[in-house]
Amino acid sequence: MNIFLHELRANRKTTGIWIGSISAVIILYMSVFPIVTKDPATFEKMLRSNPAFNSFIASISNIGSILGFYSFVFSFILLLGAIQAMNLGASILSKEIRDKTADFLLTKPVSRVKIMTSKLLASLVLLLATNIACYAVALIMAFAVKTNDFDEKIFFLITATLFLVQLIFCALGVIISVIIQKLRSVLPISLGSVFAFFFISMFISTDKDDLIRFISPFKYFDTGYIINHSSYEIQYLIAEAVFIILAVAASYIIYSKKDIHAV
Amino acid sequence: MNVIEIKNLTKNYGKSRGIEDISFNVEDREVFGFIGPNGAGKSTTIRTLLGLIYPASGAATIFGKSCIDNPEIRKDIGYLPSEVFYYDKMRVIDLLKYSASFYNKDCTKRINELAEIMDLNLKKRIDDLSFGNKKKVGIVQGLLHEPKLIILDEPTSGLDPLMQQRFFELLVQENNKGATIFFSSHILSEVQKMCHRVAFIKEGKIIKLEKMSTLKESAYKKVKVEAKNHIEKDYFKMSGVNNLEVNGNIANFIFNGNINSVMKKITDLELYNVWVDDPDLEEIFLHYYAKED
Repeated sequence: MNIFLHELRANRKTTGIWIGSISAVIILYMSVFPIVTKDPATFEKMLRSNPAFNSFIASISNIGSILGFYSFVFSFILLLGAIQAMNLGASILSKEIRDKTADFLLTKPVSRVKIMTSKLLASLVLLLATNIACYAVALIMAFAVKTNDFDEKIFFLITATLFLVQLIFCALGVIISVIIQKLRSVLPISLGSVFAFFFISMFISTDKDDLIRFISPFKYFDTGYIINHSSYEIQYLIAEAVFIILAVAASYIIYSKKDIHAV
Repeated sequence: MNVIEIKNLTKNYGKSRGIEDISFNVEDREVFGFIGPNGAGKSTTIRTLLGLIYPASGAATIFGKSCIDNPEIRKDIGYLPSEVFYYDKMRVIDLLKYSASFYNKDCTKRINELAEIMDLNLKKRIDDLSFGNKKKVGIVQGLLHEPKLIILDEPTSGLDPLMQQRFFELLVQENNKGATIFFSSHILSEVQKMCHRVAFIKEGKIIKLEKMSTLKESAYKKVKVEAKNHIEKDYFKMSGVNNLEVNGNIANFIFNGNINSVMKKITDLELYNVWVDDPDLEEIFLHYYAKED
């Protein structure tokens, strides 16, 4: 419990800054919606003419609706959220070694399994807090700018994919950080990985039920599908669960056997 | 009863560093010195003992158990690393409370006592502290839960002489209360004051394990004599004289035995100057090597 609380305290500032910046992006983009509704056709044409944007909205039929527009905005929120989650996952264990505080923590009467569990739980809570805060901000903004009523369940389902995608990147960060003997800097690794997956996702079409979609977590939850079916595609939920379980289990094993070297 | 048992412990890092087939025991209530130059394997041994690194072969146990399989035995261990690093953004008192929270007992009183003895400001942030003050945090952190075994890796580096003295007094008190103390150093004189036994380690191997009382009996002296006249090559050839070097009217050697016999020999010479010093560790090592050859 003490490690868990220590991690929450140590990471509250960073998480606060992330919540602030994601909220700012939500507010900024969503406040553009009233202008879009005046001439949705031109806006859609503009987006479709840009291949990068087109990939985000390919499966969305009505960009002029609040859910359609939110889906578009949400691609950028996902990108930010993925960076946050991977930073957190990659640093939560490695920072003890990098800052040389591992000698302090790992000579206390606790097992490495318990240390890791506490840290993973703390990460989970920090990500949950981010999601709750961002959901609240997004919902308030949606109500403030809406021109028609919208399905709140779908709105929730779309927003909840932030958490689901963050879990994948957090697990990816954790496994990378335990494999690398001494991770000197987290940001290049997390930015690099997240942007790599993001760019890959731009070239993957969600129209087809293609195997290639499994490559990028950004394509696991297609907003077009969510709007039409009001649910997620089960095979991607399973893929996510399998990846997270494998990554976390491997991390436990590697971390427990790792040599913690002196400075 | 042995508090620490190390049996055939081996750990390699590539070719050069590491430890090889190290075995020794530390008894209950003993103050045990672990002496060797930098890079000899002192820290590697200690880190293996604490379960920070895994041995390639052999075993290291504390209170009969391995730290790796039984992390809970660390509640009776206080560890001060050679270089102390803590969470920079925390205040000293918050760090010490965090440390205390691992031991399921109220350590507030002991924290305040220790901070007073070591003259440590508890209100400051860790990153505002100097190296010496961080070391003091390390000392308080290592002793606040009144451990039965205190493991210290180069404990006095960074401490001024006054603080070193207070720290040693503190250790003597803990030892009198029943704590076993294991500490490493590259300075023999630091260890001499309080150790019961010392082990010498060089290049990953234990080269000598001796009772302090024996070491003191055979008090080593480094002698340099500058005579007016040429000194015969064999003039100082006598029992107890080692590493003898004679160069014209100057003779250097390490002496070990009854000091009177060599003093007589020296006074027989017409002297310009004479130096009698405690030899440094390296010279004692050289002496040990010479003996083994």
